[in-house]
Amino acid sequence: MNGMLVFDVIRFELTRSLTVSRMMVWGALVAFPVTLVGILANRLALVEDAPKDQILGTVMFILIPEIVCLLGLLLWATPAIATEIEGQTWIYLAMRRSGRGVVAIGKYLTAVLWTLSAALAATTICVALSWPEDLVFMWLVLSGLVTLSCFAHAALYLFIGLMFRKRTMVTAVGFTLIVEFGLTFVPALANKLTVNYRLRGLFQNWLEWDTLKTPAEAVYGSEPVSTHLMALAIYTTLLLGLSLWKLRVSEFPNQQDG
Amino acid sequence: MIELKRVSRLYGKVIGVNDLNVKLAAGAYGLVGPNGSGKTTLINLLTGQLRPTLGSVRVFGEDPWHQRDMLRRIGLCPASDVLYPNVSASEWVQYQVRLHGFSLAESRERAHTALDRVDMTDRMHRPMGSYSLGMRQRTKIAQAIAHDPDLLILDEPYNGLDPVGRYQMTEMLVQYAEEGRSLLFASHVLHEIEAITSSFMLIHGGRLLASGTAAEIDMILADTPREVTLHGEDVTRLASRLIGLDWVDSISLNKQGNQLTLALLDPQELYRQLAGWIASDGLRIDRLQAETGELTAVLDSLLQHHRGEAR
Repeated sequence: MNGMLVFDVIRFELTRSLTVSRMMVWGALVAFPVTLVGILANRLALVEDAPKDQILGTVMFILIPEIVCLLGLLLWATPAIATEIEGQTWIYLAMRRSGRGVVAIGKYLTAVLWTLSAALAATTICVALSWPEDLVFMWLVLSGLVTLSCFAHAALYLFIGLMFRKRTMVTAVGFTLIVEFGLTFVPALANKLTVNYRLRGLFQNWLEWDTLKTPAEAVYGSEPVSTHLMALAIYTTLLLGLSLWKLRVSEFPNQQDG
Repeated sequence: MIELKRVSRLYGKVIGVNDLNVKLAAGAYGLVGPNGSGKTTLINLLTGQLRPTLGSVRVFGEDPWHQRDMLRRIGLCPASDVLYPNVSASEWVQYQVRLHGFSLAESRERAHTALDRVDMTDRMHRPMGSYSLGMRQRTKIAQAIAHDPDLLILDEPYNGLDPVGRYQMTEMLVQYAEEGRSLLFASHVLHEIEAITSSFMLIHGGRLLASGTAAEIDMILADTPREVTLHGEDVTRLASRLIGLDWVDSISLNKQGNQLTLALLDPQELYRQLAGWIASDGLRIDRLQAETGELTAVLDSLLQHHRGEAR
Protein backbone atom coordinates (compact mmCIF):
# COMPACT_ATOMS: atom_id res chain seq x y z
CA MET A 1 0.00 0.00 0.00
CA ASN A 2 1.37 3.39 -1.03
CA GLY A 3 1.96 5.49 2.09
CA MET A 4 1.95 8.76 0.17
CA LEU A 5 -1.46 7.93 -1.28
CA VAL A 6 -2.80 7.33 2.22
CA PHE A 7 -1.39 10.70 3.19
CA ASP A 8 -3.22 12.31 0.24
CA VAL A 9 -6.49 10.67 1.28
CA ILE A 10 -6.04 12.08 4.79
CA ARG A 11 -5.31 15.52 3.38
CA PHE A 12 -8.37 15.39 1.12
CA GLU A 13 -10.61 14.15 3.92
CA LEU A 14 -9.39 16.81 6.35
CA THR A 15 -9.82 19.54 3.73
CA ARG A 16 -13.40 18.63 3.06
CA SER A 17 -14.15 18.18 6.75
CA LEU A 18 -13.20 21.67 7.81
CA THR A 19 -16.76 22.84 8.15
CA VAL A 20 -18.33 24.93 10.89
CA SER A 21 -20.46 22.03 12.16
CA ARG A 22 -17.48 19.68 12.37
CA MET A 23 -15.42 22.30 14.18
CA MET A 24 -18.27 22.83 16.64
CA VAL A 25 -18.38 19.10 17.36
CA TRP A 26 -14.61 19.18 17.87
CA GLY A 27 -15.02 22.08 20.29
CA ALA A 28 -17.80 20.29 22.17
CA LEU A 29 -15.65 17.19 22.54
CA VAL A 30 -12.91 19.27 24.15
CA ALA A 31 -15.25 21.38 26.29
CA PHE A 32 -17.20 18.44 27.75
CA PRO A 33 -14.44 16.86 29.90
CA VAL A 34 -12.76 20.20 30.55
CA THR A 35 -15.94 21.60 32.10
CA LEU A 36 -16.54 18.58 34.32
CA VAL A 37 -12.92 18.26 35.44
CA GLY A 38 -12.76 22.02 36.07
CA ILE A 39 -15.84 21.91 38.32
CA LEU A 40 -14.61 18.82 40.15
CA ALA A 41 -11.12 20.24 40.66
CA ASN A 42 -12.66 23.37 42.16
CA ARG A 43 -14.78 21.38 44.59
CA LEU A 44 -11.93 19.07 45.59
CA ALA A 45 -9.74 22.04 46.36
CA LEU A 46 -12.10 22.78 49.26
CA VAL A 47 -11.87 19.26 50.70
CA GLU A 48 -8.93 18.51 52.96
CA ASP A 49 -7.05 15.18 52.65
CA ALA A 50 -8.96 14.09 49.56
CA PRO A 51 -6.98 11.81 47.21
CA LYS A 52 -7.27 14.55 44.62
CA ASP A 53 -4.88 13.11 42.05
CA GLN A 54 -6.55 9.70 42.09
CA ILE A 55 -10.08 11.03 41.86
CA LEU A 56 -9.32 13.52 39.11
CA GLY A 57 -7.07 11.05 37.28
CA THR A 58 -9.81 8.42 37.27
CA VAL A 59 -12.43 10.93 36.15
CA MET A 60 -10.16 12.13 33.35
CA PHE A 61 -9.55 8.53 32.30
CA ILE A 62 -13.28 7.81 32.15
CA LEU A 63 -14.12 11.06 30.40
CA ILE A 64 -11.38 11.24 27.79
CA PRO A 65 -10.11 7.84 26.53
CA GLU A 66 -13.39 6.10 27.35
CA ILE A 67 -16.02 8.68 26.40
CA VAL A 68 -14.59 11.53 24.30
CA CYS A 69 -12.63 9.15 22.07
CA LEU A 70 -15.64 6.89 21.60
CA LEU A 71 -17.98 9.78 20.80
CA GLY A 72 -15.55 11.30 18.31
CA LEU A 73 -14.87 8.02 16.60
CA LEU A 74 -18.54 7.10 16.51
CA LEU A 75 -19.08 10.23 14.45
CA TRP A 76 -16.00 9.85 12.27
CA ALA A 77 -15.01 6.22 11.82
CA THR A 78 -18.41 4.51 11.79
CA PRO A 79 -19.87 6.36 8.81
CA ALA A 80 -16.53 6.71 6.98
CA ILE A 81 -17.45 4.36 4.13
CA ALA A 82 -21.23 4.22 4.69
CA THR A 83 -21.70 7.93 3.91
CA GLU A 84 -19.82 7.54 0.63
CA ILE A 85 -22.01 4.56 -0.26
CA GLU A 86 -25.23 6.31 0.73
CA GLY A 87 -24.17 9.47 -1.09
CA GLN A 88 -23.35 7.33 -4.13
CA THR A 89 -19.84 8.79 -4.26
CA TRP A 90 -18.18 5.49 -3.34
CA ILE A 91 -18.36 4.35 -6.97
CA TYR A 92 -15.89 7.10 -7.94
CA LEU A 93 -13.42 5.85 -5.34
CA ALA A 94 -14.02 2.16 -5.97
CA MET A 95 -13.24 2.70 -9.66
CA ARG A 96 -9.68 3.71 -8.82
CA ARG A 97 -6.90 1.19 -8.97
CA SER A 98 -5.92 1.93 -5.36
CA GLY A 99 -9.36 3.08 -4.33
CA ARG A 100 -10.84 0.70 -1.84
CA GLY A 101 -7.97 -0.16 0.51
CA VAL A 102 -6.13 3.16 0.42
CA VAL A 103 -9.29 5.18 0.95
CA ALA A 104 -10.38 2.98 3.87
CA ILE A 105 -7.00 3.30 5.61
CA GLY A 106 -6.90 7.02 4.84
CA LYS A 107 -10.36 7.52 6.29
CA TYR A 108 -9.44 5.41 9.33
CA LEU A 109 -6.36 7.52 10.01
CA THR A 110 -8.32 10.73 9.43
CA ALA A 111 -10.85 9.62 12.05
CA VAL A 112 -7.99 8.81 14.43
CA LEU A 113 -6.25 12.15 13.82
CA TRP A 114 -9.39 14.23 14.18
CA THR A 115 -10.50 12.53 17.40
CA LEU A 116 -6.99 12.30 18.77
CA SER A 117 -6.48 16.03 18.33
CA ALA A 118 -9.66 16.78 20.30
CA ALA A 119 -8.83 14.19 22.97
CA LEU A 120 -5.24 15.42 23.37
CA ALA A 121 -6.39 19.01 23.62
CA ALA A 122 -8.91 17.96 26.29
CA THR A 123 -6.25 15.93 28.12
CA THR A 124 -3.81 18.85 28.15
CA ILE A 125 -6.35 21.32 29.51
CA CYS A 126 -7.79 18.84 32.04
CA VAL A 127 -4.36 17.89 33.38
CA ALA A 128 -3.48 21.56 33.66
CA LEU A 129 -6.71 22.23 35.56
CA SER A 130 -6.26 19.29 37.94
CA TRP A 131 -2.55 20.05 38.43
CA PRO A 132 -1.50 16.64 39.83
CA GLU A 133 1.72 16.05 41.73
CA ASP A 134 3.45 14.56 38.73
CA LEU A 135 1.84 16.64 36.03
CA VAL A 136 3.98 15.51 33.10
CA PHE A 137 3.67 11.85 33.97
CA MET A 138 -0.12 12.09 34.28
CA TRP A 139 -0.28 13.84 30.90
CA LEU A 140 1.92 11.17 29.31
CA VAL A 141 -0.18 8.32 30.72
CA LEU A 142 -3.48 9.84 29.65
CA SER A 143 -2.11 10.82 26.23
CA GLY A 144 -0.83 7.29 25.69
CA LEU A 145 -4.22 5.86 26.63
CA VAL A 146 -6.02 8.34 24.43
CA THR A 147 -3.80 7.37 21.49
CA LEU A 148 -4.35 3.64 22.03
CA SER A 149 -8.09 4.19 22.49
CA CYS A 150 -8.33 6.12 19.21
CA PHE A 151 -6.50 3.53 17.12
CA ALA A 152 -8.37 0.55 18.61
CA HIS A 153 -11.86 2.07 18.69
CA ALA A 154 -11.50 3.56 15.20
CA ALA A 155 -10.68 0.08 13.87
CA LEU A 156 -13.72 -1.27 15.71
CA TYR A 157 -16.11 1.36 14.35
CA LEU A 158 -14.73 1.15 10.82
CA PHE A 159 -15.38 -2.59 10.94
CA ILE A 160 -18.92 -2.12 12.29
CA GLY A 161 -19.57 0.49 9.58
CA LEU A 162 -18.57 -1.99 6.90
CA MET A 163 -20.38 -4.99 8.34
CA PHE A 164 -23.65 -3.19 8.99
CA ARG A 165 -24.36 -0.89 6.08
CA LYS A 166 -27.90 -0.27 7.29
CA ARG A 167 -28.53 1.22 10.73
CA THR A 168 -24.78 1.61 11.10
CA MET A 169 -24.85 4.23 13.85
CA VAL A 170 -27.52 2.39 15.83
CA THR A 171 -25.44 -0.78 15.71
CA ALA A 172 -22.27 1.04 16.71
CA VAL A 173 -23.96 2.82 19.62
CA GLY A 174 -25.61 -0.43 20.71
CA PHE A 175 -22.31 -2.29 20.58
CA THR A 176 -20.59 0.45 22.57
CA LEU A 177 -23.20 0.48 25.29
CA ILE A 178 -23.51 -3.30 25.59
CA VAL A 179 -19.91 -4.35 25.09
CA GLU A 180 -17.60 -1.44 25.84
CA PHE A 181 -19.63 -0.04 28.75
CA GLY A 182 -21.45 -3.18 29.90
CA LEU A 183 -19.64 -6.41 29.20
CA THR A 184 -16.30 -4.80 30.00
CA PHE A 185 -17.21 -4.71 33.70
CA VAL A 186 -18.36 -8.33 33.85
CA PRO A 187 -15.63 -10.30 35.60
CA ALA A 188 -15.37 -13.08 33.04
CA LEU A 189 -13.30 -14.02 30.02
CA ALA A 190 -15.56 -11.90 27.80
CA ASN A 191 -14.48 -8.61 29.35
CA LYS A 192 -10.91 -9.32 28.33
CA LEU A 193 -12.03 -8.97 24.72
CA THR A 194 -13.04 -5.35 25.15
CA VAL A 195 -10.83 -2.34 24.47
CA ASN A 196 -11.88 -0.51 27.62
CA TYR A 197 -10.76 -3.42 29.82
CA ARG A 198 -7.28 -3.17 28.29
CA LEU A 199 -7.19 0.60 28.67
CA ARG A 200 -8.21 0.33 32.33
CA GLY A 201 -5.52 -2.29 32.89
CA LEU A 202 -2.89 -0.01 31.38
CA PHE A 203 -4.17 2.97 33.37
CA GLN A 204 -3.87 1.04 36.61
CA ASN A 205 -0.51 -0.48 35.70
CA TRP A 206 1.12 2.76 34.64
CA LEU A 207 -0.11 4.82 37.59
CA GLU A 208 0.33 1.93 40.07
CA TRP A 209 -2.61 2.98 42.20
CA ASP A 210 -3.06 -0.11 44.31
CA THR A 211 -5.92 1.51 46.18
CA LEU A 212 -7.96 1.22 42.99
CA LYS A 213 -6.70 -2.19 41.98
CA THR A 214 -7.30 -4.10 45.18
CA PRO A 215 -11.07 -3.69 45.51
CA ALA A 216 -11.72 -4.24 41.82
CA GLU A 217 -9.08 -6.49 40.34
CA ALA A 218 -11.46 -8.12 37.91
CA VAL A 219 -12.41 -4.72 36.57
CA TYR A 220 -8.86 -3.44 36.20
CA GLY A 221 -7.27 -6.78 35.40
CA SER A 222 -4.04 -8.25 36.66
CA GLU A 223 -2.14 -8.72 33.40
CA PRO A 224 1.11 -6.91 32.77
CA VAL A 225 1.43 -3.89 30.48
CA SER A 226 2.90 -5.98 27.67
CA THR A 227 -0.19 -8.24 27.59
CA HIS A 228 -2.55 -5.30 27.36
CA LEU A 229 -0.49 -3.64 24.63
CA MET A 230 -0.24 -6.89 22.69
CA ALA A 231 -4.00 -7.46 22.99
CA LEU A 232 -4.75 -3.95 21.71
CA ALA A 233 -2.30 -4.34 18.81
CA ILE A 234 -3.84 -7.67 17.80
CA TYR A 235 -7.36 -6.30 18.19
CA THR A 236 -6.62 -3.24 16.05
CA THR A 237 -4.72 -5.14 13.35
CA LEU A 238 -7.32 -7.88 13.18
CA LEU A 239 -10.24 -5.48 12.82
CA LEU A 240 -8.44 -3.40 10.20
CA GLY A 241 -7.51 -6.55 8.29
CA LEU A 242 -11.11 -7.77 8.41
CA SER A 243 -12.34 -4.37 7.23
CA LEU A 244 -9.96 -4.40 4.26
CA TRP A 245 -10.97 -7.95 3.43
CA LYS A 246 -14.64 -7.01 3.63
CA LEU A 247 -14.04 -4.08 1.29
CA ARG A 248 -12.21 -6.32 -1.15
CA VAL A 249 -14.95 -8.92 -1.41
CA SER A 250 -17.99 -6.63 -1.18
CA GLU A 251 -19.99 -5.51 -4.15
CA PHE A 252 -20.59 -1.78 -4.34
CA PRO A 253 -22.75 -1.30 -7.41
CA ASN A 254 -23.74 2.07 -8.67
CA GLN A 255 -27.37 1.99 -7.58
CA GLN A 256 -28.98 4.00 -10.33
CA ASP A 257 -31.95 2.37 -11.93
CA GLY A 258 -30.91 1.41 -15.39
CA MET B 1 -12.19 -5.11 -25.86
CA ILE B 2 -15.26 -6.50 -24.07
CA GLU B 3 -16.24 -10.14 -23.89
CA LEU B 4 -19.18 -11.48 -21.94
CA LYS B 5 -19.88 -15.18 -22.02
CA ARG B 6 -23.27 -16.36 -20.81
CA VAL B 7 -23.33 -13.69 -18.12
CA SER B 8 -26.27 -13.59 -15.76
CA ARG B 9 -26.61 -11.56 -12.63
CA LEU B 10 -29.31 -12.19 -10.05
CA TYR B 11 -30.38 -9.91 -7.21
CA GLY B 12 -32.04 -12.51 -5.05
CA LYS B 13 -34.89 -13.70 -7.25
CA VAL B 14 -34.71 -10.72 -9.59
CA ILE B 15 -32.69 -10.97 -12.76
CA GLY B 16 -30.47 -8.00 -13.48
CA VAL B 17 -29.00 -9.30 -16.70
CA ASN B 18 -29.83 -12.62 -18.27
CA ASP B 19 -27.51 -14.82 -20.31
CA LEU B 20 -25.60 -12.05 -22.04
CA ASN B 21 -23.19 -12.99 -24.79
CA VAL B 22 -21.30 -10.02 -26.18
CA LYS B 23 -18.01 -9.61 -27.95
CA LEU B 24 -17.07 -6.05 -28.83
CA ALA B 25 -13.93 -4.82 -30.55
CA ALA B 26 -12.52 -1.41 -29.67
CA GLY B 27 -14.82 1.39 -30.79
CA ALA B 28 -17.74 3.55 -29.77
CA TYR B 29 -20.98 1.83 -28.76
CA GLY B 30 -24.30 2.91 -27.50
CA LEU B 31 -25.99 0.85 -24.82
CA VAL B 32 -29.67 1.50 -25.27
CA GLY B 33 -32.53 0.36 -23.12
CA PRO B 34 -35.40 1.72 -21.07
CA ASN B 35 -35.03 2.43 -17.37
CA GLY B 36 -34.58 -0.80 -15.43
CA SER B 37 -33.48 -2.74 -18.50
CA GLY B 38 -30.14 -3.81 -17.03
CA LYS B 39 -27.81 -1.12 -18.43
CA THR B 40 -26.38 -0.13 -15.06
CA THR B 41 -26.04 -3.74 -13.98
CA LEU B 42 -24.06 -4.41 -17.15
CA ILE B 43 -21.86 -1.38 -16.47
CA ASN B 44 -21.31 -2.53 -12.88
CA LEU B 45 -20.23 -5.92 -14.20
CA LEU B 46 -17.85 -4.36 -16.71
CA THR B 47 -16.27 -2.16 -14.07
CA GLY B 48 -15.83 -4.92 -11.49
CA GLN B 49 -18.31 -3.47 -9.02
CA LEU B 50 -20.53 -6.54 -9.34
CA ARG B 51 -19.60 -10.19 -9.75
CA PRO B 52 -21.60 -12.20 -12.28
CA THR B 53 -23.77 -14.93 -10.80
CA LEU B 54 -23.04 -17.02 -13.88
CA GLY B 55 -20.67 -16.64 -16.80
CA SER B 56 -17.49 -14.66 -17.30
CA VAL B 57 -16.73 -11.00 -17.92
CA ARG B 58 -13.53 -9.92 -19.62
CA VAL B 59 -12.49 -6.37 -20.37
CA PHE B 60 -9.20 -6.06 -22.26
CA GLY B 61 -8.80 -9.78 -21.61
CA GLU B 62 -8.93 -9.38 -17.83
CA ASP B 63 -11.52 -10.09 -15.18
CA PRO B 64 -12.40 -6.67 -13.70
CA TRP B 65 -13.69 -8.19 -10.45
CA HIS B 66 -10.45 -10.00 -9.61
CA GLN B 67 -7.89 -7.85 -11.40
CA ARG B 68 -8.60 -4.39 -10.05
CA ASP B 69 -5.39 -2.98 -11.54
CA MET B 70 -7.13 -3.01 -14.90
CA LEU B 71 -9.51 -0.31 -13.66
CA ARG B 72 -6.74 2.10 -14.63
CA ARG B 73 -7.78 1.41 -18.25
CA ILE B 74 -11.43 2.29 -17.67
CA GLY B 75 -12.97 5.69 -17.07
CA LEU B 76 -16.46 5.65 -15.62
CA CYS B 77 -18.91 8.51 -15.51
CA PRO B 78 -21.75 7.12 -13.37
CA ALA B 79 -25.26 8.46 -13.39
CA SER B 80 -25.04 9.36 -9.70
CA ASP B 81 -24.23 12.92 -8.71
CA VAL B 82 -21.14 14.18 -6.90
CA LEU B 83 -21.85 15.71 -3.52
CA TYR B 84 -18.69 17.17 -2.00
CA PRO B 85 -20.00 20.71 -1.54
CA ASN B 86 -16.88 22.32 -0.13
CA VAL B 87 -14.35 20.69 -2.47
CA SER B 88 -13.41 22.26 -5.81
CA ALA B 89 -13.50 20.38 -9.11
CA SER B 90 -9.75 20.82 -9.35
CA GLU B 91 -9.14 19.21 -5.94
CA TRP B 92 -11.61 16.41 -6.55
CA VAL B 93 -10.45 15.41 -10.02
CA GLN B 94 -6.83 15.62 -8.90
CA TYR B 95 -7.65 13.35 -5.95
CA GLN B 96 -9.38 10.85 -8.23
CA VAL B 97 -6.40 10.72 -10.60
CA ARG B 98 -4.00 10.44 -7.68
CA LEU B 99 -5.83 7.32 -6.50
CA HIS B 100 -4.75 5.65 -9.75
CA GLY B 101 -1.18 6.01 -8.53
CA PHE B 102 -0.05 9.01 -10.57
CA SER B 103 2.37 11.42 -8.90
CA LEU B 104 0.98 14.59 -7.32
CA ALA B 105 2.36 16.82 -10.07
CA GLU B 106 1.09 14.58 -12.84
CA SER B 107 -2.31 14.24 -11.16
CA ARG B 108 -2.62 18.01 -11.03
CA GLU B 109 -1.63 18.41 -14.66
CA ARG B 110 -3.99 15.66 -15.85
CA ALA B 111 -6.86 17.04 -13.78
CA HIS B 112 -6.42 20.53 -15.18
CA THR B 113 -6.12 19.23 -18.75
CA ALA B 114 -9.31 17.19 -18.36
CA LEU B 115 -11.20 20.08 -16.78
CA ASP B 116 -10.04 22.32 -19.59
CA ARG B 117 -11.34 19.80 -22.08
CA VAL B 118 -14.81 19.93 -20.55
CA ASP B 119 -14.65 23.73 -20.44
CA MET B 120 -14.41 24.01 -16.66
CA THR B 121 -11.10 25.85 -16.37
CA ASP B 122 -12.68 29.12 -15.28
CA ARG B 123 -14.68 27.52 -12.52
CA MET B 124 -12.51 24.64 -11.40
CA HIS B 125 -11.33 26.33 -8.19
CA ARG B 126 -14.83 27.11 -6.99
CA PRO B 127 -16.44 24.73 -4.46
CA MET B 128 -18.62 22.13 -6.17
CA GLY B 129 -21.55 23.10 -3.95
CA SER B 130 -21.88 26.24 -6.06
CA TYR B 131 -22.01 24.34 -9.39
CA SER B 132 -25.03 23.87 -11.59
CA LEU B 133 -26.02 20.33 -12.55
CA GLY B 134 -24.41 20.81 -15.95
CA MET B 135 -21.13 21.87 -14.38
CA ARG B 136 -21.18 18.85 -12.10
CA GLN B 137 -21.83 16.60 -15.10
CA ARG B 138 -18.83 18.08 -16.86
CA THR B 139 -16.71 17.62 -13.77
CA LYS B 140 -17.81 13.97 -13.67
CA ILE B 141 -16.71 13.55 -17.27
CA ALA B 142 -13.38 15.18 -16.41
CA GLN B 143 -12.68 12.66 -13.63
CA ALA B 144 -13.52 9.85 -16.04
CA ILE B 145 -11.13 10.99 -18.78
CA ALA B 146 -8.36 12.56 -16.73
CA HIS B 147 -6.32 9.36 -16.39
CA ASP B 148 -6.56 8.82 -20.16
CA PRO B 149 -8.47 5.52 -20.08
CA ASP B 150 -8.64 3.08 -22.98
CA LEU B 151 -12.38 2.73 -22.47
CA LEU B 152 -14.75 5.45 -21.35
CA ILE B 153 -18.09 4.31 -19.94
CA LEU B 154 -20.85 6.87 -19.51
CA ASP B 155 -24.12 6.13 -17.77
CA GLU B 156 -26.87 8.56 -18.80
CA PRO B 157 -24.50 11.53 -19.18
CA TYR B 158 -27.27 13.83 -20.43
CA ASN B 159 -29.30 13.57 -17.23
CA GLY B 160 -30.29 17.03 -16.10
CA LEU B 161 -28.50 18.91 -18.86
CA ASP B 162 -30.17 21.80 -20.64
CA PRO B 163 -30.14 21.92 -24.46
CA VAL B 164 -26.90 23.92 -24.55
CA GLY B 165 -25.29 21.49 -22.13
CA ARG B 166 -26.49 18.55 -24.22
CA TYR B 167 -25.06 20.08 -27.35
CA GLN B 168 -21.70 20.72 -25.70
CA MET B 169 -21.62 17.22 -24.25
CA THR B 170 -22.42 15.71 -27.65
CA GLU B 171 -19.67 17.75 -29.31
CA MET B 172 -17.17 16.60 -26.74
CA LEU B 173 -18.12 12.94 -27.00
CA VAL B 174 -18.15 13.02 -30.80
CA GLN B 175 -14.65 14.43 -30.72
CA TYR B 176 -13.62 11.81 -28.19
CA ALA B 177 -14.94 9.01 -30.40
CA GLU B 178 -13.37 10.54 -33.52
CA GLU B 179 -9.98 10.37 -31.84
CA GLY B 180 -10.38 6.60 -32.08
CA ARG B 181 -10.99 6.07 -28.37
CA SER B 182 -13.37 3.43 -27.13
CA LEU B 183 -16.62 4.53 -25.65
CA LEU B 184 -19.64 2.83 -24.17
CA PHE B 185 -22.53 5.19 -23.78
CA ALA B 186 -25.65 4.09 -21.90
CA SER B 187 -28.89 5.93 -22.43
CA HIS B 188 -32.60 5.33 -22.73
CA VAL B 189 -32.88 7.96 -25.46
CA LEU B 190 -31.88 6.57 -28.83
CA HIS B 191 -31.24 9.83 -30.64
CA GLU B 192 -28.74 10.93 -28.00
CA ILE B 193 -26.64 7.92 -28.88
CA GLU B 194 -27.20 8.24 -32.62
CA ALA B 195 -25.51 11.63 -32.50
CA ILE B 196 -22.32 10.00 -31.25
CA THR B 197 -22.14 6.51 -32.66
CA SER B 198 -23.98 4.27 -35.09
CA SER B 199 -23.15 1.07 -33.20
CA PHE B 200 -25.66 -0.06 -30.63
CA MET B 201 -26.42 -2.71 -28.11
CA LEU B 202 -30.09 -2.85 -27.30
CA ILE B 203 -30.92 -4.24 -23.91
CA HIS B 204 -34.35 -4.89 -22.45
CA GLY B 205 -35.44 -6.92 -19.44
CA GLY B 206 -31.83 -7.86 -18.79
CA ARG B 207 -31.48 -9.45 -22.22
CA LEU B 208 -29.43 -8.26 -25.14
CA LEU B 209 -31.96 -7.97 -27.92
CA ALA B 210 -29.65 -6.85 -30.70
CA SER B 211 -26.25 -5.38 -31.37
CA GLY B 212 -24.60 -3.82 -34.37
CA THR B 213 -24.97 -0.72 -36.48
CA ALA B 214 -28.29 0.98 -37.12
CA ALA B 215 -28.35 -0.65 -40.58
CA GLU B 216 -27.72 -4.08 -39.09
CA ILE B 217 -30.50 -3.59 -36.57
CA ASP B 218 -32.77 -2.47 -39.39
CA MET B 219 -31.97 -5.74 -41.17
CA ILE B 220 -32.89 -7.70 -38.07
CA LEU B 221 -36.10 -5.75 -37.90
CA ALA B 222 -36.84 -6.33 -41.58
CA ASP B 223 -38.61 -9.60 -40.74
CA THR B 224 -40.40 -8.14 -37.76
CA PRO B 225 -43.87 -6.68 -38.26
CA ARG B 226 -44.02 -2.88 -37.91
CA GLU B 227 -47.02 -1.29 -36.37
CA VAL B 228 -49.08 1.25 -38.29
CA THR B 229 -52.25 2.82 -36.87
CA LEU B 230 -54.96 4.47 -38.95
CA HIS B 231 -57.72 6.66 -37.58
CA GLY B 232 -60.98 7.60 -39.37
CA GLU B 233 -64.61 6.63 -39.80
CA ASP B 234 -63.88 4.32 -42.78
CA VAL B 235 -61.05 2.24 -41.35
CA THR B 236 -63.44 -0.77 -41.20
CA ARG B 237 -63.83 -0.66 -44.98
CA LEU B 238 -60.10 -0.32 -45.36
CA ALA B 239 -59.63 -3.41 -43.19
CA SER B 240 -61.57 -5.49 -45.71
CA ARG B 241 -59.05 -4.45 -48.37
CA LEU B 242 -56.17 -5.71 -46.20
CA ILE B 243 -57.45 -9.14 -45.26
CA GLY B 244 -55.48 -11.89 -46.90
CA LEU B 245 -52.60 -9.75 -48.14
CA ASP B 246 -49.28 -11.53 -47.59
CA TRP B 247 -47.50 -8.42 -46.25
CA VAL B 248 -50.13 -7.91 -43.55
CA ASP B 249 -49.35 -9.84 -40.40
CA SER B 250 -52.31 -8.85 -38.25
CA ILE B 251 -55.26 -6.50 -38.21
CA SER B 252 -56.93 -5.12 -35.13
CA LEU B 253 -59.93 -2.83 -34.95
CA ASN B 254 -61.05 -0.96 -31.85
CA LYS B 255 -64.60 -1.24 -30.47
CA GLN B 256 -65.69 2.10 -31.86
CA GLY B 257 -64.54 1.07 -35.32
CA ASN B 258 -62.51 4.22 -35.86
CA GLN B 259 -59.00 2.98 -35.18
CA LEU B 260 -57.26 0.26 -37.14
CA THR B 261 -53.96 -1.12 -35.92
CA LEU B 262 -51.92 -3.07 -38.44
CA ALA B 263 -48.79 -5.18 -38.03
CA LEU B 264 -47.10 -5.02 -41.40
CA LEU B 265 -44.20 -6.99 -42.76
CA ASP B 266 -43.72 -4.41 -45.47
CA PRO B 267 -45.13 -1.01 -44.48
CA GLN B 268 -43.92 0.48 -47.78
CA GLU B 269 -46.53 -1.60 -49.61
CA LEU B 270 -49.30 0.05 -47.58
CA TYR B 271 -47.89 3.50 -48.22
CA ARG B 272 -47.79 2.78 -51.98
CA GLN B 273 -51.37 1.53 -52.20
CA LEU B 274 -53.21 3.53 -49.54
CA ALA B 275 -53.74 6.69 -51.57
CA GLY B 276 -55.22 4.65 -54.44
CA TRP B 277 -57.68 2.81 -52.14
CA ILE B 278 -58.79 6.06 -50.52
CA ALA B 279 -59.47 7.57 -53.91
CA SER B 280 -61.18 4.55 -55.50
CA ASP B 281 -63.33 3.57 -52.46
CA GLY B 282 -63.98 7.13 -51.29
CA LEU B 283 -62.60 6.36 -47.84
CA ARG B 284 -62.25 8.88 -45.12
CA ILE B 285 -58.98 8.34 -43.22
CA ASP B 286 -58.07 11.18 -40.90
CA ARG B 287 -54.70 10.14 -39.63
CA LEU B 288 -51.97 7.58 -40.17
CA GLN B 289 -49.46 6.92 -37.45
CA ALA B 290 -46.40 4.78 -38.09
CA GLU B 291 -43.68 3.71 -35.68
CA THR B 292 -41.53 6.73 -35.14
CA GLY B 293 -38.28 4.89 -34.53
CA GLU B 294 -38.59 5.72 -30.85
CA LEU B 295 -36.73 3.38 -28.64
CA THR B 296 -39.82 1.75 -27.17
CA ALA B 297 -41.13 0.88 -30.61
CA VAL B 298 -37.78 -0.48 -31.75
CA LEU B 299 -37.44 -2.48 -28.55
CA ASP B 300 -40.97 -3.84 -28.87
CA SER B 301 -40.16 -4.98 -32.39
CA LEU B 302 -36.88 -6.50 -31.27
CA LEU B 303 -38.61 -8.24 -28.40
CA GLN B 304 -41.02 -9.82 -30.88
CA HIS B 305 -38.06 -10.89 -32.96
CA HIS B 306 -36.34 -12.25 -29.85
CA ARG B 307 -39.41 -14.30 -28.95
CA GLY B 308 -39.50 -15.73 -32.44
CA GLU B 309 -42.67 -13.89 -33.33
CA ALA B 310 -41.10 -12.53 -36.50
CA ARG B 311 -41.51 -14.51 -39.68
